[in-house]
Amino acid sequence: MNLFKAELRRLARRRLSLIFGIIAAAGVLVLAGVFWFTSSKGPTEEALAEAQAEADRMNDENFEYEQCIEDEAYLDQPDYEWVESDPYYEGMTREEVCADVFGVWTAEDLIWTYTFDFAEESPLLLIGVAIIAGLVMMMLASSAIGAEWSSGGMANLLLWHPNRMRVWGAKLGAAAAVCAAAVLALMLLAFGLLYVAGAARGDVSGLDAAWWDENLPKFARAALLSVGMTVLGASLAMLGRHTAISGGIIAGYLIVGDMLVRIAALALQMPFSERLSLYTWVTAWIDGRTELYDWTDLYADNAEVMVITASEAGVLLGGIVLGFAALATWAFQRRDVS
Amino acid sequence: MPPIIEISGLRKTYSRAFRQPHHALDGLDLEVAAGQVHGFLGPNGSGKTTTLRALLGLIRVDGGTMRIFGEEVPRRLPEVVAKIGAVVESPQFFKHFSGRLTLQLLAESAGVSKARVEEVLEQVGLRDAAKASVKGYSLGMRQRLAVAQALLKQPQLLILDEPANGLDPAGIHHMRELLQWLAHSQGVTVVVSSHLLSEVQQLCDSMTIVSRGRRIVDGGVADIIAGHGDSSLTVRFPDAASLPEAAEALTAASGSLDAAKSAVTASVDRDRLVVRGAPEPSWVTKTLADAGIYLSELRTEVKNLESVFLELTGTAPVPGRTVQIGESVVVPQTAPAEVSVGDVSVVVESEGAER
Ligand SMILES: Nc1ncnc2c1ncn2[C@@H]1O[C@H](COP(=O)(O)OP(=O)(O)OP(=O)(O)O)[C@@H](O)[C@H]1O
Ligand SMILES: [Mg+2]
Repeated sequence: MNLFKAELRRLARRRLSLIFGIIAAAGVLVLAGVFWFTSSKGPTEEALAEAQAEADRMNDENFEYEQCIEDEAYLDQPDYEWVESDPYYEGMTREEVCADVFGVWTAEDLIWTYTFDFAEESPLLLIGVAIIAGLVMMMLASSAIGAEWSSGGMANLLLWHPNRMRVWGAKLGAAAAVCAAAVLALMLLAFGLLYVAGAARGDVSGLDAAWWDENLPKFARAALLSVGMTVLGASLAMLGRHTAISGGIIAGYLIVGDMLVRIAALALQMPFSERLSLYTWVTAWIDGRTELYDWTDLYADNAEVMVITASEAGVLLGGIVLGFAALATWAFQRRDVS
Repeated sequence: MPPIIEISGLRKTYSRAFRQPHHALDGLDLEVAAGQVHGFLGPNGSGKTTTLRALLGLIRVDGGTMRIFGEEVPRRLPEVVAKIGAVVESPQFFKHFSGRLTLQLLAESAGVSKARVEEVLEQVGLRDAAKASVKGYSLGMRQRLAVAQALLKQPQLLILDEPANGLDPAGIHHMRELLQWLAHSQGVTVVVSSHLLSEVQQLCDSMTIVSRGRRIVDGGVADIIAGHGDSSLTVRFPDAASLPEAAEALTAASGSLDAAKSAVTASVDRDRLVVRGAPEPSWVTKTLADAGIYLSELRTEVKNLESVFLELTGTAPVPGRTVQIGESVVVPQTAPAEVSVGDVSVVVESEGAER
């Protein structure tokens, strides 16, 4: 327990933690700021009147529309016979029908307003915040362990705590705990700031029980993914004994490795080749399920469908993380430290 | 009292790609008695650091047994580690933490009080430098921090690998007093590996000398020095011309000595006469006076650890040639007879360079 607390303190006292913490908080602030400044509840009266005048002016030049209004028989021309028979236009006034067929400008067409819909847009943003926080924590955890190896501090620590499993457990536990706390804090901060932005300049309706039911599990899974990434980063740093190695392997795989695997799968004409991409599984894990379609049989009426559920994705991703953690444990247990 | 450290037959082999495996430790034995300052000596690359690392569970070994406080290590190391403070070869610390924080984190992790941190910082003379980050420490300051780290737990066994490395004269002096005080008044057992032989001679009660991963000799420091390298007398004369004459006189007179004693040899060395094997300095003066030669100076050359070490390890300098790493003497495979403290046994078989 003492060791765990000391490890927490070691993480907290690193300058990198402070820098990353500030950057992450600032990032969330900027995100909320973007929505604060781009969103509005609607145009002002003035802007609306101006736009209306402009729209009227433009409609005056739309002579087909003018003719349609003036000439009762205009729509009886053979070109427009289909209008008569289309149920869509039933019960519309003549003006509305003309406007729809010939396209008239309205004030809304000319004035761009964007209203931030919190209920609609925040889930994706919050999940993004959780994942980016996870990436940051992954770097922090791997750099903490990598730096301890490369600085020689590990040998010193082992002189105090020869039980390597306890040392590793404390380090991993501390990294995971700090990651969970940081992700939670950042998500709460983002939620609060986005909510404020939405309440002041957008729309915050629709946060009902159903919304929570739908999104809370996604948030939880995103946070869990972040903790998993942290454990993975720490394990790779433990295996490679260097920060750069850990970060390089992960970035390299996500950017190049993943692509190579997919290209290989395509070249081999493997059905459902997307299932070889880590991104597919991450999406499935967070969204709850993902469907993959296979169109290789061109004569089939319907594509073959493969469903990946969150639990399947969880088993795979968890397996990868645990696999590397186990490998790191094994290597650390046997390794000569000098 | 049983020895605090007992090592027997320790082996560590490093495998090397495309080359013969390298036996860093080749059946090494070591015993350290309680309450002593024990010197651990050997030429570069003879396996001292490797032994200490193995003892502290940092590396795995390929054979042999080790016990500390009677407990088998590394298996039972977690039980005894609280009593062991150690510094292993040029210790490194995380550069961006201050010296104080480095110690505080270790103290916290083992439940040592914060007050103790300040105490050891004072003790090693780092009080005023404690809040600077380790990045800005000099070699000696880092060494002091390492020693502070070892003292932090108030150990009963202190293992220091080259603690004097980088220390200034005051630091070395202080370290010597500290270690002697710990050993002789606090009952702490201290093991130091060092290349500063004059230091070891002043500091240590007993010592072990190793070469190529095996023990060459162990015992009390004074006994080892006394038992090796014969004492010599240097004699000078007012007139250098009388040197050959004096040498002859001494050699002739040695015939009348007890035959069991080794023969007296006298050799001319520039303007001096070096006499070995003489029973007494007074025997020299008398013999020379009898021959009508009067000397102007007679000095007893004190044997020092350095010459004994060079002789025992086979690393004595040869003019015009550097002794290479790994050229020190090889101890035959059969372990030397049990040695008890105070009595010296040496098994040396010199084998030239293996190349
Ligand atoms: N990690 C390693 N890999 C390969 N060989 C090693 C390793 N560590 C030590 N050795 C070898 O083991 C032998 C003993 O090394 P060790 O560091 O114990 O020497 P030492 O007695 O402490 O020397 P010094 O007086 O220079 O400190 C050397 O020959 C060295 O080359
Ligand atoms: Mg060494």
